[in-house]
Amino acid sequence: MAFPNVYQSPGFEFANEVRNNYLAEKGMPLPKATSTGTTIVGCLFKDGIVLGADTRATEGPIVADKNSADTEFTTALISSNMELHALETGRKPRVVTAMTMLKQMLYRYQGHIGAALVLGGVDATGPHLFTIHPHGSTDKLPYVTMGSGSLAAMAVFETGWRPNMEREDALKLVKAAIAAGIFNDLGSGSNIDACIITANHTEMLRNVEMPNQRVQKERDYKFRRGTTAWKKEDIRKFVVDEQITLIGGDEMDTS
Amino acid sequence: MSIMDQNGGSVIAMVGKECVAIASDLRMGNQALGISSNFQRIFPVTDRIFLGMPGLATDVTTLHERLRFRLNMYTIKEEREIAPETFAHLVSSTLYEHRFGPYFIEPVMAGISKTPTGKYKPFIAATDLIGCLNFAKDFVVAGTASSKLYGVAEGLWEPDLEPEDLFETISQTLMNAVDRDAFSGWGCIVHVITKDKVITRTLKGRMD
Amino acid sequence: MQYSFIEPPWRPRKGYLIMAADTTAARSIVKMKVDEDKIKTLSPHLLMAYSGEPGKSLSLKDPRDTVQFAEYVERNIRLYQIRNLYPLRPAAAASWIRRALADSIRSRKPYVVNLLLGGYDTATHEPHLYWVDYLGTMTEVPFAAHGYGAYFALSLLDRYHNPEATLEEGLETLKRCLDEVSKRLVVSPSKYKVKIVDKDGVREIEL
Repeated sequence: MAFPNVYQSPGFEFANEVRNNYLAEKGMPLPKATSTGTTIVGCLFKDGIVLGADTRATEGPIVADKNSADTEFTTALISSNMELHALETGRKPRVVTAMTMLKQMLYRYQGHIGAALVLGGVDATGPHLFTIHPHGSTDKLPYVTMGSGSLAAMAVFETGWRPNMEREDALKLVKAAIAAGIFNDLGSGSNIDACIITANHTEMLRNVEMPNQRVQKERDYKFRRGTTAWKKEDIRKFVVDEQITLIGGDEMDTS
Repeated sequence: MSIMDQNGGSVIAMVGKECVAIASDLRMGNQALGISSNFQRIFPVTDRIFLGMPGLATDVTTLHERLRFRLNMYTIKEEREIAPETFAHLVSSTLYEHRFGPYFIEPVMAGISKTPTGKYKPFIAATDLIGCLNFAKDFVVAGTASSKLYGVAEGLWEPDLEPEDLFETISQTLMNAVDRDAFSGWGCIVHVITKDKVITRTLKGRMD
Repeated sequence: MQYSFIEPPWRPRKGYLIMAADTTAARSIVKMKVDEDKIKTLSPHLLMAYSGEPGKSLSLKDPRDTVQFAEYVERNIRLYQIRNLYPLRPAAAASWIRRALADSIRSRKPYVVNLLLGGYDTATHEPHLYWVDYLGTMTEVPFAAHGYGAYFALSLLDRYHNPEATLEEGLETLKRCLDEVSKRLVVSPSKYKVKIVDKDGVREIEL
């Protein structure tokens, strides 16, 4: 009998894999990742980097815009390792360091961790912009796009990008690229997120543009209380009894 | 036939005004054959956090045991109750640990947390079966009737519902959705969590 | 391969539980044995009926699989009683068995065993029944069945199960279920073992 171990080993757990493969053999297929899209972009400008993304949230057994959980956890892991690295070396972190850590990890997992990322930043050596693919390959380019909306977004970059752009123009271009993804790619949608990184400042612009705002519903379906018939009720009150005793007289000595 | 549909079952959680609600059906079956009409898939985590686990029934039990263990370890180490946001990450990382051999569960969480200013903030979240978190401001759904739940909830939900109104909205959403799903139904249970009490009601609905 | 039918036990509140199982052990289309006892007495107030997964890909599985698992459970439950001087209560036993199956399916050669666990809790004086399958799915139910007979038995139990029924009425309902299985199932078994557990412990009866 296996007893739970208080000290859990770090890393992935494969205990269910035997079972899941056995069940798949028995004709119960494992759920497929529903491939829902995304649009992520980045471009170089005069003083740094502008990054952009759409904000569509998706549903399904596994949200797989090049695997949401994978990008999320990989980013968190590298982010904390970068901080430790910076603390250890006593130097400001560099973009290439993050890029190398990411590609080495992803290569080690041979594409099974389906993270696809756009990595950009400004460090001591200047601005850098990368794309990182699930198998660990990387590109270093002045403007990049990824995800199912990458073609639409790249079309915008190819027509609009110029070297040494102004900050506002670059932001405008990134917004246009994401908007192209939102409106032309079925898998991308909702709002635009952007992020402007310069040598000494990072500006996060959550929902800079919200081109798909819901309008106020014209009618509602509020139910009259008592509509739903129920058989059994159990109310668990947190405050069962309260008694307040006033302590009169002297003020507490706080001197 | 996906393994996610083997036992059936659905869960929904909704946000109200200083309250949240979480509800599920009570069916547990073997494909089309109903086995139980009283299967618990929503579990209390703390006084003010509830966790719903639609998916493969064996994993409901296993994962519940596992999370209870991890939660106890957290509570003992920290000497305090877990916050809903923290618990969501606990669930998420437990599932992601099993990235390459997942539990067939899509958890839904609901709770309220106390802000430093003494106010109560409603909280709901859901993850996919490998732990990708989805924090929503309105409602979250999961299970075999999830597509139907989305549709009905999208039509019925509105912001700032009082606990009793939220109860009606979530109950009607769930019941009407599971009635259109062959693998969910056979009774429903609803929990409404407010700052000073939890109301749990077993609904009277179709049993076919 | 082993076809087996564990027929409808249930727990009316009168404080008893009836469990029935057919007695045939078959391999492929051949009956090998017609006096097999598929209900094990795990402790003075605990019964376990077990069978293999019907139909599906069982041709590769050894029918002894189910028996081996049942004996493994039997001995561990006995060991607990010897060590602690009191037996596991039904809920605890069910939980232990579920875990054994959940661990087993994560191993290289899993047991493919479905079972029903019925017991009389001597502490609360209530009978309990658990439906458990080879995946480690467990749920407490008022009545349950495994196997091909389940499709008929469950329908009848939905209609006729009465938690207030006396033992005589309970056995009458059981008979209805077994008769229906005999009438409608192509490969219906000929003989059943019926066991009862109540405050006085386990006893076998002839229907």
